[in-house]
Amino acid sequence: MKITVQTKGGQFEYDVDTGETLLAGALRNGITLPYECATGTCGTCRGRIMTGDCHMGWDEAPGAARLKREKGDCLLCQTTATSDALVRVPSSKVTDHFERGHVPCHCKGTLTNSRMLTHDVMHFDLVLDRPLNFDAGQFVTLSCDQVVGARAYSMVNYAADAQILSFVVKHLPGGGFGDWLFGEDVDGTEVSVFGALGAATFYPEEDRNIICIGGGSGIAGMMSILDRACQEKYFTDHAGHVFFGVRTMADSFYLAELASFAEQAGENLSITVALSDEDPGLKRHPEFDALKLDTGFVHEAASRAMAGRYDNAIGYVAGPPPMVDASLRVLVADGKLPVSDIRYDKFS
Amino acid sequence: MSWRRICAADSVAERTLKKFEVDGIPVIIANYGEGFRAFPPVCPHMEEPLEESGFIEGKVLTCSKHLWQWDLGTTEMTGSETEKPMHFYEVKEENGDIHAFIESEHEYEFDEEDEMDDDDFFNS
Repeated sequence: MKITVQTKGGQFEYDVDTGETLLAGALRNGITLPYECATGTCGTCRGRIMTGDCHMGWDEAPGAARLKREKGDCLLCQTTATSDALVRVPSSKVTDHFERGHVPCHCKGTLTNSRMLTHDVMHFDLVLDRPLNFDAGQFVTLSCDQVVGARAYSMVNYAADAQILSFVVKHLPGGGFGDWLFGEDVDGTEVSVFGALGAATFYPEEDRNIICIGGGSGIAGMMSILDRACQEKYFTDHAGHVFFGVRTMADSFYLAELASFAEQAGENLSITVALSDEDPGLKRHPEFDALKLDTGFVHEAASRAMAGRYDNAIGYVAGPPPMVDASLRVLVADGKLPVSDIRYDKFS
Repeated sequence: MSWRRICAADSVAERTLKKFEVDGIPVIIANYGEGFRAFPPVCPHMEEPLEESGFIEGKVLTCSKHLWQWDLGTTEMTGSETEKPMHFYEVKEENGDIHAFIESEHEYEFDEEDEMDDDDFFNS
């Protein structure tokens, strides 16, 4: 089907496949329609269907709550077409090429290596049927025949022409894909992948010091940033400050990997695990000496450690919404970072 | 009578904001250090309650939800993310009290985006 998009900055045409969302079709053709979560939550990818047969799959998507459905408004990340269609998008910033980064695409992955990292956090890998290029800090959407709807997960690893993507997922009951992942033996299942997506990206050529504040599985994209930074020896001449918030020692994960990054990077990279519900009484992790320990909320640990050290820094934030909110306040109010130097994906 | 007494000036500390209700109209008073501002209690972006999501650094009010910012000194939009102006009520300080000029409650039009209306879609 041919989709024509009218925007305040011009008109664009692209093809979508049967069952493909109008957003995915546009992005893989290099057309930069606005989006943030790409999974129905945020409401950013709003469009109005002027002509054509289109169907919004997830009617109760949280991001659709304020749409004027009677006028044809829809979330393009949830909408598929069964005929040619004309769509209006209220943006003046749409272009037909990506200024930076990689044009996303569809591929398939086979789920493997799934294992529990804590009682409610799982790691798994996807072996892709074709290599995928992405930027450290980005995410993909995953869906499979067993579950309705797609979920977004940030990559944990980094590689150019990646054949394997690694992910970490915290079990939140009520999430379809998550319940499925945690509910049965999923290794060997084929999963549909679309990406890469998201703007919480790391580019070594920007030449900035980095601050990462991650809560729980929000550490995923920061692991990818650290992976790339260590591969490129970024910390020989840049500072990195990473704050990883979990409730207790028993809720922490990826500590061996984080300690390995800290050892590779040397003294310019500081990694602190902040425990909100437990006081270990130690300054260093008993098993991983390269990791610092702190007690309290992760944004408080960051605030304490970063005072006077925000020079030339870009801040990355990810995690549960209250933790993201508190961390953004630290970066803006304590760090005086301009909001253009704060990168986080706005999933709500 | 549209000037309404909102609160005592010393009830809103420097670089904080507080929500009040006067004659059934909710209003936020913000003390940005060099003066006071009065505005409706929600972010013009997605109705975030600013008494929770808003904070003041320097003279800049930030909504922590999506980092939209307004300069309370000039009342202009600032920062790289902000896409809509904030509505301000006129304020004055008199005998230690803050008064705001509120004819009627200002409500942002969240679902009726002008630009999505067919007639003027391409006109702005």
